[in-house]
Amino acid sequence: MPRPVVKEITFTLDGREVTAPEGMILVDAANQFGDVEIPVFCYEPKLGQPVGACRMCLVEIEGIPKLQTGCSTPVRDGMVVNTQTQRVHEAQRAVVEFLLINHPLDCPVCDKGGECPLQDITYGWGPGTSRFIEPKRHFKKPLELSPLIAIDRERCILCYRCVRYSQEVSEDYQLVLQQRGADSYVSTFDGHPYVAPFSGNIIELCPVGALTSRAYRFRARPWDIEGAGTICAGCPAQCNVELTVRDERVLRVLARDNENVDDGWLCDKGRFAYQAVHSDERITTPLVREGDELVPASWDKAIEVAGAALEKAGAKAAAIAGGTTTNEEAFLLQDLFRGKLGSSHLATRAGGEQPLDVVRALADPKLQATVPDLEFAHTVLLVDCDPIDEVPVWDLRIRKGVRRHGTKVVVASARPTALDPSAAATLRFAPGGAEAFLVALDAALSGDTGNLGGAASAAGSNATAVSEFADALRAAGEEVVIVYGERALRGSAGRAILNIASRLNLASIANAGILELPASPNGRGLREAGFAAGHGPGFASVATPGHGGEEIAAGLASGDLQTVWLHHVDPLRNYPNRPAWEKALAGAQTVIAVESQLTDTVAQFADVVFPAEAYPEKDGTLTHPDGRVQRLRQAVGHPRGAGNTPGSGVRPLWQVISDVARAVGFDEGAALAGSQVSQRLFEAVPFYTGLTLDAIGGRGLRWQDEATFDVPASEPGALDVPSGLPAKSEAELRLGTFRPLWAAKEVDIAPALQFIRAKQVVELSPADADARGIREGDRAEVGNGTRIPATVRIRAAIPAGSVFLAEGIAEHNSNVLTHGIVEVRRVGPGSTEPSSLPIQSQPAVEGLAEMPPSAGLPIPPREVAE
Amino acid sequence: MLANIDTILFKDIDEPGLNTREVYERRGGYEMLRKALKMEPGEVLDEMLASGVRGRGGAGFAMGRKMSFIPKGTMDKYLVCNADESEPGTFKDRELMQKNPHLLIEGIIIGAYCIGATRSFIFIRGEYDYVADILDAAVAEARAAGYLGENILGSDHTIDLVVHRGAGAYICGEETALLDSLEGKRGNPRLKPPFPAVQGLYQGPTLINNVESLMNVPVILNMGGAEFAKIGTETSTGTKLVSISGQVKYPGNYEIVLGTKTRDILFDLAGGPLDGRTFKAWFPGGSSSPVMPLTEEVLEMPYDFDSIAKAGSMLGSGAIIVFDDSTSIVDVCYKTAHFYRHESCGKCSPCREGCNWTEKMLVRIKNGDATPMDLDIIESVCSQIMGNCLCVLGDAMAMPVSSMIKHFRPEFEAYIEAKREEAGFGVSIPQVNRGAHAGPGPLLSPAQAA
Amino acid sequence: MAIDPTKIKRYDHGSRVPGWDESADLTKDPAVVPDPATTYVPEPVREAIEVLMGKYPDVRSAAIPAMKIVQREHGWLSPQAMEQAACVLRLTPAYLVAVASFYDMFELKPKGKNDVYVCTNISCSLLGADGVYARMKDEMEGDPDFNVRAFECLGACEIAPMASVNGVYVGPLTEDDCAQIREDLKEGREVLPDKQLAKRKAASKHWKR
Ligand SMILES: Cc1cc2nc3c(=O)[nH]c(=O)nc-3n(C[C@H](O)[C@H](O)[C@H](O)COP(=O)(O)O)c2cc1C
Ligand code: SF4
Ligand code: FES
Repeated sequence: MPRPVVKEITFTLDGREVTAPEGMILVDAANQFGDVEIPVFCYEPKLGQPVGACRMCLVEIEGIPKLQTGCSTPVRDGMVVNTQTQRVHEAQRAVVEFLLINHPLDCPVCDKGGECPLQDITYGWGPGTSRFIEPKRHFKKPLELSPLIAIDRERCILCYRCVRYSQEVSEDYQLVLQQRGADSYVSTFDGHPYVAPFSGNIIELCPVGALTSRAYRFRARPWDIEGAGTICAGCPAQCNVELTVRDERVLRVLARDNENVDDGWLCDKGRFAYQAVHSDERITTPLVREGDELVPASWDKAIEVAGAALEKAGAKAAAIAGGTTTNEEAFLLQDLFRGKLGSSHLATRAGGEQPLDVVRALADPKLQATVPDLEFAHTVLLVDCDPIDEVPVWDLRIRKGVRRHGTKVVVASARPTALDPSAAATLRFAPGGAEAFLVALDAALSGDTGNLGGAASAAGSNATAVSEFADALRAAGEEVVIVYGERALRGSAGRAILNIASRLNLASIANAGILELPASPNGRGLREAGFAAGHGPGFASVATPGHGGEEIAAGLASGDLQTVWLHHVDPLRNYPNRPAWEKALAGAQTVIAVESQLTDTVAQFADVVFPAEAYPEKDGTLTHPDGRVQRLRQAVGHPRGAGNTPGSGVRPLWQVISDVARAVGFDEGAALAGSQVSQRLFEAVPFYTGLTLDAIGGRGLRWQDEATFDVPASEPGALDVPSGLPAKSEAELRLGTFRPLWAAKEVDIAPALQFIRAKQVVELSPADADARGIREGDRAEVGNGTRIPATVRIRAAIPAGSVFLAEGIAEHNSNVLTHGIVEVRRVGPGSTEPSSLPIQSQPAVEGLAEMPPSAGLPIPPREVAE
Repeated sequence: MLANIDTILFKDIDEPGLNTREVYERRGGYEMLRKALKMEPGEVLDEMLASGVRGRGGAGFAMGRKMSFIPKGTMDKYLVCNADESEPGTFKDRELMQKNPHLLIEGIIIGAYCIGATRSFIFIRGEYDYVADILDAAVAEARAAGYLGENILGSDHTIDLVVHRGAGAYICGEETALLDSLEGKRGNPRLKPPFPAVQGLYQGPTLINNVESLMNVPVILNMGGAEFAKIGTETSTGTKLVSISGQVKYPGNYEIVLGTKTRDILFDLAGGPLDGRTFKAWFPGGSSSPVMPLTEEVLEMPYDFDSIAKAGSMLGSGAIIVFDDSTSIVDVCYKTAHFYRHESCGKCSPCREGCNWTEKMLVRIKNGDATPMDLDIIESVCSQIMGNCLCVLGDAMAMPVSSMIKHFRPEFEAYIEAKREEAGFGVSIPQVNRGAHAGPGPLLSPAQAA
Repeated sequence: MAIDPTKIKRYDHGSRVPGWDESADLTKDPAVVPDPATTYVPEPVREAIEVLMGKYPDVRSAAIPAMKIVQREHGWLSPQAMEQAACVLRLTPAYLVAVASFYDMFELKPKGKNDVYVCTNISCSLLGADGVYARMKDEMEGDPDFNVRAFECLGACEIAPMASVNGVYVGPLTEDDCAQIREDLKEGREVLPDKQLAKRKAASKHWKR
């Protein structure tokens, strides 16, 4: 979709000539180019079209009799604007006076005091005295709006920001204004809490102290905090954040707008999970197993034990990395494993790897889409992923495209996604059918009717549906962005994606391309740094490729592999097939874990534990799924160990890896600071060459913009039709899994997020629920042989025949189930409420199903009473 | 001379069954639609322009010009009839729709044809439920007769009409708030530009006109624009329904030729003041028009858009509210302010807070807890509302309230002092000028203030 | 003493919406778009709303008429009524409550059966509406059969002072008519047949001069 081109114009601002891009909003132009501040309250470009509600920004424009709102006036050539006349001053003073009428002026006890736009604007533009002597409007002082947010309605100046956010940005339509006129107030429906994946953003949007963070309230004042810019390493979205630090503690996370990454929003996980950093349960000293017990050990001892184990294992050592592993750590680890131990058993994902030529072709810079492309593309195709759970801010970005630029979203997934209501087309395949679907889509796009039918039915869909979907994909225009979940990359899926990209000609269309959603936050960076079984740094070929995730598990269990290094990763929780991993870890001679909590994995299986750094303690780089290399910067010091002994406590992990390497006699070249490791990484990865930490700076750099990485153009090749879905009986259902946004160990321990910890919920279609006599809220058991308990949630959007469970959660994780075909049974008495009803009859009006979607987004299932 | 009665729109208004298609057609109904369909839309527009007819909803904007702003082209365009009629004192549209719904429907179809709209809506206030039922029945009749729907009267034009009932909010009469309400939202006015003619309902170009305005469309086609322009004065053409209410003998709707002398309206039609009373003042055009004392001079004023504007008020919706010497200006002022405070949508701060504050001050005046200084503050607050709001609802409160204080200040002051006495507060404190913003300055200590 | 602090009703905000001064109930789930699989909507209600949805290019336009339907069905806009409408409209109930609370004719608390709106705006009050309203309240308030409300101008100032009784406009009222209205409603009779506006002729004919 063409992005706006701007022309420079000149206008007169308070008697001076100012040059600015044509059409820029006056308050922005005045601020950026004219050095004049026009005060605003309701104006926030992130929220969309200006609404002109607060009237704070009134200015005089020659030729127009009434004062105009600067927040809604685009600058035009030759326009003459006055912001400093008597008339403007009077109007501004009047607006401030009006806004303060019902404001309690309780600044001394207000959490916003010192960083409050209302205070600042009153000081700068207000009248100084008030003539209002009537009683003000009273509400009860701070109330809970949700477990995360407190609302003080007296302070609200009715600027509409928060409700516009809820309605026009996050589109959850939960926070609204009730009543009318001077009686209006911000509220939710019938006392329901405002709980949504992005609710915390309203705290930052509120220009007064009406909406405050319950986690931050009264923990600091603006004059005793420091801001530290870094990036959130909670998920692949890698949002830019500013941490509020007081006395070496992170007290708050704020957005640090970067339109190339997050567009200025944060999800609630990123905003509140920081509490895990200062959890009492953190491991702060190395631990070494003695007998059955893990006991605190000195660094020297732990490094020695780990080193010895690795040395002994040699090529039989393996490593898995995930979580907040930086590029530098990954680089050092793979260097140690390949350079010294001779092992390429390096995995970052559960499944196997794609062939190297596919990996390289998928990394082709020409094929690489960017985050802004999600907003401006003609069409965004989602394959087997749900951004809301996996990269939450992208969900907002895609919605923005749909809302503002008419971008079409087409979704192909097993489980209904949050974007379905906004989608132009949706296609449901059976759980596990992603690969076959991609082959079918390729066939549909190429007109290969032979493959189409077989592949479509192997995906649990049909040829007509896939062809229609292919038409919808091409209908809106040539700029297509394909977003696919890493989990879809099985078998010939990678080639299918390349075929599709080449049929849609994405490599030669500027704003089109593909985006892979890695399963771990820095998945892309880890692989680019060479942490992979099949390739070295920069996708270089390796002599003997190693094992991928599943094979490592098998190798450890069978004794073919001896030692495993788990770097920021917990396979028992995050990888499928927990029984296999339990066997693997039990079979391993030595398990070295980098971990922050005493998880099951650590407590039962680890022999050496190195305390993990939390992301605010790290220095290094991460690579965003769109290729942007970003800097993690240390915001707080590392926690000391017990007794505060110097030398104990958490250490930078790059240093730990180097020390272990030295202990096995592998000198990677001494590094005194993290930045030196970064430098070595940049030199070793061809397309990172020339990068420096300074150049990356606070906003990141996409290497694709600077460097090339030559990949032979991939020609669409013939694909085999994947084997069909396993057979199932009438009584059985196909099991699909998904990882809820809240399935993270940080969420499990952050006090503020306890209420939303993901618990196991089984999602059933109304038909399947009915057939089994199961109702909403019942307790059920799901499985085949092994069974896990879950609370039933019936969703009309779930296709009959499929059932979904959450993975990556702490209790009753779906990864204990190893069969893709399961039974669902109610346990205990049925719920009393007759809530489950037969699905609605035919719509009374023809064509209703095709009506424009209305608002609303289903939020991921959350805690349900046991 | 008796002022004109029942000239055009009100002709045969009480004919039994006029609300049915049968009677309406017997009287020549829907002939003008047939005629229009034989003309080019541009020709219909030319007649509208020639007639010089001005909108009857309040702003008095030339109807033909507004129609000409609607862009040509094939995008979805809409026509919305504003039947919200919530301005206090206004009740003309109700009587017209109740008794002659087909005239409105015919006007809407011709208007939609003229601008190329395929969908039209009548936005009727929710309280007029029974009128809406009548409209619904009339629309069904018109659809059955092929006046509405696809290929109307065998032409290739599609025009549909939906009667949409509001749910009780004055602000929804404001055209952009009406659009939001019609889109199923809170009735908040929108920022202009873009104007509805460019981007209105569902983002499409939209023509919004009052009921009475649209009813004039068939009339104009019948007479010819030029002929229509001969009625009334040069800048206020045609007839106007005035809704007369308040303290008069014969309240009701009367159709007058624009330019009729005020005295003729108030005395001949409305029968003058109630027995034993004399007129004190009036709202010439609904509760949002500045109040004027009913002096001899005002009684001589011709009732048309420009004469009233020149005299410092406005014709508005043509709703005349008259009150006599038995009524306290403070009560009228309070009722007015109360109404606008209740109806302010709350979107923009000057209107939301200004109306709220003004009402509170008036309550204090009524409670005997005010001083004449409060009148200065009210005037100042009103002046700060005027022109600074998102829509003109704020002005609609500020104008009448400040006009009442302007014209009747001594009465207000006397009232304040009397009420203070009654409440036992004694005479007011010497006036301190709190009327203007002092800027940061020394505050009076309570002792000094006393 | 200008303002008597004891007379300031803290928290008396006069909201028509219950729960305005309470914390959100943290045991409740967030109010998302009700899932049709788990929300009971009576078939006629669903059908009526769907017919409405088909009348407009954007389904949201049907929100206000749809809420009128469920209000009629439930007597008031109970949370359950809102959820039903929201489910069919595919909107969140919060969206609907924001809209409903903006408009005077939606009732967010349980109300009496018969709506009696007494106009107390300028024209009516010039002719004694405040007295009529006070009397009406005396007659009916507290009786679950009646919902007496002071209303802004109802658009019938020629019959001032007037009231809208279940949508039927009657006037000019005297204070004594209030009892009659009460009687008529209780008995299920037509309300003040002689004073109904719908039966009145245009002013020039009505006033036989
Ligand atoms: C607060 C406010 C209330 C209004 N109420 C009405 C109304 O009830 N009926 C109406 O026809 N116009 C009303 N208007 C005027 C409309 O905004 C608009 O000017 C009118 O519908 C245009 O129609 P016309 O050109 O035919 O007069 C109102 C305007 C404002 C600012
Ligand atoms: S709560 Fe804050 S953000 Fe929301 S309307 Fe009030 S002042 Fe604005
Ligand atoms: S900032 Fe312009 S009106 Fe609020």
